[in-house]
Amino acid sequence: MSRFGDVQTFVREANRVADLSGLRSLLEDKVKSLGFDYFALLHHVDLARTTSDFVRLVHYPQSWKEKSASLDYYSDDPILAVSQKSVTPFLWTDVPRMLSLSARQEEILNSAQHAGIGNGVTVPINIPGEFSGSCSFSMRTGREIPIPALPTAQYLGCFAFQAARRVVMTNTAAKPAFNEVQQRLSPRQLDCVILAGRGKSDRDVGQLLGISGQTVHQHIEEAKRRYNVATRQQLIVRALFDAQITFADLIN
Amino acid sequence: MVNLVTSYNRSKFRAPLEAMHRDRKKVFVDALKWDIPVIDGQYEIDQFDTDAAIYLVALDQMNQRHLGSVRLLPTTGPHLMSEIFPFLCEKGVPVGDDIWEITRLCTTPSRDIEPRLIRRRIATAMCEFGLLYGISKYTCVTHIQYLSHLLALGWECEPLGEPKEVNGEVIGVMSISITPATLQLFREKMGSRTPVLQLDAFAQAA
Repeated sequence: MSRFGDVQTFVREANRVADLSGLRSLLEDKVKSLGFDYFALLHHVDLARTTSDFVRLVHYPQSWKEKSASLDYYSDDPILAVSQKSVTPFLWTDVPRMLSLSARQEEILNSAQHAGIGNGVTVPINIPGEFSGSCSFSMRTGREIPIPALPTAQYLGCFAFQAARRVVMTNTAAKPAFNEVQQRLSPRQLDCVILAGRGKSDRDVGQLLGISGQTVHQHIEEAKRRYNVATRQQLIVRALFDAQITFADLIN
Repeated sequence: MVNLVTSYNRSKFRAPLEAMHRDRKKVFVDALKWDIPVIDGQYEIDQFDTDAAIYLVALDQMNQRHLGSVRLLPTTGPHLMSEIFPFLCEKGVPVGDDIWEITRLCTTPSRDIEPRLIRRRIATAMCEFGLLYGISKYTCVTHIQYLSHLLALGWECEPLGEPKEVNGEVIGVMSISITPATLQLFREKMGSRTPVLQLDAFAQAA
């Protein structure tokens, strides 16, 4: 079958899979027939620290999976860092030019090489209002990337991620990650959330904003209600996630 | 609400359509830098904005302001895929009474507009229009970086050919099946079962 015919079949089958394991076996076949050795389809959330099921389908050498988990490589992975800022696919060999690598990030890339993972390509999946995601296809160390297959790999990545996303969405009740209706906070609520996020007490926030501590408390309570969360920690996280406030707001 | 504007009722929507062409210029020419014609320095109008085109136009109910729109073209006549991008289709350009092409989907660039909500409303209207008028498939040309957004909306897409690089950008062609299940999904996501498409007694489609 032609390379494109292959993708068409994949898209039809992927639209029908009922679970991630079905998608995994579909992907393993197609990825191999395109000429790649490994793949990783994931939402960029640290799964060691969350109980929810987000998209995560990984086909890598076992030794690498264990090592990257035990050394917590995930949170500093330079490939994922570049992916979150990209709209177009990129080759891993280009990453050192796209990002000035920290020593830790150099270590992660070297370590992957040692584990047998060579060059790869990553298709960023950045959907507004959701966690960043990506789909990567890669080679065993020493094998060349099949360059003519890159456009097809790009399709495969987008459709595979959507299939995974659909399965995860059907299997879980309304997830915050997929809740598309943004809860907008009022400017005053945002002021209070930001100052609370900087560690200020209601009284301090009130003094800074020229309102009473009680009013600050009411603003925070109303903001919590809008997000339907119980604590101010959750409120700050949700407001950050929706980009209603930014890390720069909290850290500077 | 999203209004169905055809050649029959276009005169009733003169101001919103003007605003649409102005917004299309701001979005596609000024922001996205597409090399397409501009009329009078302010309107983006091309050879496919003819009487055959149908527009779904989202308007602010209060003041009739243009919020976003999309152009639908019958594939039985000249359209973007048949005239400009036929080489992207592996097995020929899909043509039929029940196949229409989506182009020029845009939302008004303005800080007080949430583009995601407008796009969802227009997508729902496209679904309603398709089901009402017996359209089984939409086709569209898309920049590959928007593909994951298109898929994430919930459209049932199938590629019509491998993506190719055109003027430095990677472009692909899609076919989108219109089914009651898609409409159901869109309505769930909007949290409302009320139809968004505003029909008009004079708006005969094609």
